[in-house]
Amino acid sequence: MSLAERMLSIDRRIIFLMIGLCTLIPLLYPVGLAIKVSPEVKSVYDYIESLPAGSVFLLSLDFDPASKPELYPQAVALMRHAFKKNLRVIGMTLWLPGTGMANEVVSRIAREEGKVAGKDYVFLGWSPGGGSVIINMGQDLYKAFPTDYNNQPTRDLAVLNGVQSLRDVNYVVSLAAGTTGIETWYVFGKDKYKFELGGGCTGVIAPGLYPLLRSGQINGLIGGLRGAAEYEVLIGKKGKAVAGMDAQSATHFAIILLVILCNVFYFSIRTSGKTAGQH
Amino acid sequence: MTFLRRQLPVLVTFVTGILFAAQYYVPHPLSEQMLTSVSKWLQIIGGFALVLGVTSLFHIHAVKIRRKEPGWGYSFVLYAGMVGTIVIGLWHGGKETTDGVTTAFGWIYSFMMVPLQGTMFAILAFFIASAAYRSFRARSREAAVLLIAAVIVMLGRVPLGEHLIPVSGDITQWILNVLNASVRRAILIGISLGAVALSLKIIFGVERAYLGGGKE
Repeated sequence: MSLAERMLSIDRRIIFLMIGLCTLIPLLYPVGLAIKVSPEVKSVYDYIESLPAGSVFLLSLDFDPASKPELYPQAVALMRHAFKKNLRVIGMTLWLPGTGMANEVVSRIAREEGKVAGKDYVFLGWSPGGGSVIINMGQDLYKAFPTDYNNQPTRDLAVLNGVQSLRDVNYVVSLAAGTTGIETWYVFGKDKYKFELGGGCTGVIAPGLYPLLRSGQINGLIGGLRGAAEYEVLIGKKGKAVAGMDAQSATHFAIILLVILCNVFYFSIRTSGKTAGQH
Repeated sequence: MTFLRRQLPVLVTFVTGILFAAQYYVPHPLSEQMLTSVSKWLQIIGGFALVLGVTSLFHIHAVKIRRKEPGWGYSFVLYAGMVGTIVIGLWHGGKETTDGVTTAFGWIYSFMMVPLQGTMFAILAFFIASAAYRSFRARSREAAVLLIAAVIVMLGRVPLGEHLIPVSGDITQWILNVLNASVRRAILIGISLGAVALSLKIIFGVERAYLGGGKE
């Protein structure tokens, strides 16, 4: 067996170790390279920045704990920005397994920013139905969610004064790990109830949402941990996303190196095979 | 019986399909009221679907345990986990915290479900790296194009890549915004046209697979 053949059949645990180290070392010893902000992330930031105080901002945390590393930092950054701008924040989720996590992030950031439940923000929780929840909210928010997550009647909440349906919401951002998510919010929500919609998503599904972005169906897109890091840079409060970018840089480079090596060995075997065939 | 099993569902599908396709274009209060009521029904049906799913899961794994099929131990763990979580969840009224104190249900969620799901997803990074090393080869021109595009996007999406090759970020943006978006849009248009055609077939009773294959 040639060296190239042996290298191609290398024990996968060596690759696992390499990726593990590439993740761990930059987290322990961060470099802090500059993060360039992309136009799609800037669009979400600019729209929230343009909203006057008291505007209604709905954040739908449509993900489960599996996508926490990418989408949780996005939620934190968006919530901080919205509270800094004194927007009225409505939190909710269309993903049942994410309810506890969504409640935790909304209440924690609100507490840290000195906001009061029911007055400055509300967490509506989860309701079954996916797209039909959005239609129901578009028709009558109080029929879709008669009470909030803490069983407080939503009609009595000061934060929802003047809000009857999704038509009264100024900006909706869905942080999605798949369907039900951004596309659902567009199809069943924005298209009929005419609110502005932005999105945040995992890196895996981001390329699939670019057609919506280019056509203006969503006004901005925060993609993956990188998008979260860009948003943290924009609001000037670096958090877990910025901290994770060095690790992501290292792992991306490790994978690129592995792909290059794999191809070098592959062509080396192919060339030597052809040469042997000629003889 | 044929009427109840075959003709009535097709009739209901036809009437509601036409009604709600038309409803979108009619902003009259009556039409909006109808949509409000039906969307509430849909939410309730969604809730029942959840009950149906859980019941089905219980049934499948109960059979596996009873017959001691291969891997029945995992079914037992699933049973114990589900029953335990449901009982504790009901006990605490589905709340993770009460007066700022984490409940047992909250503990299960925060310290079992969240890290377990996170771990499952995180493991992907290791397997993707291993799979990329073993299979991401330029065996053909098409594979070579895919490989080059992937390497550029991987470079352009991280600060180190943009630091070493400043133009990689702009090329990545162009790949995502132009090449990727146009191809994705073409796929989306194809899927959407297919969905419209299928919806029409269902509404007009041409496609009846949703009725099931039971005896007439």
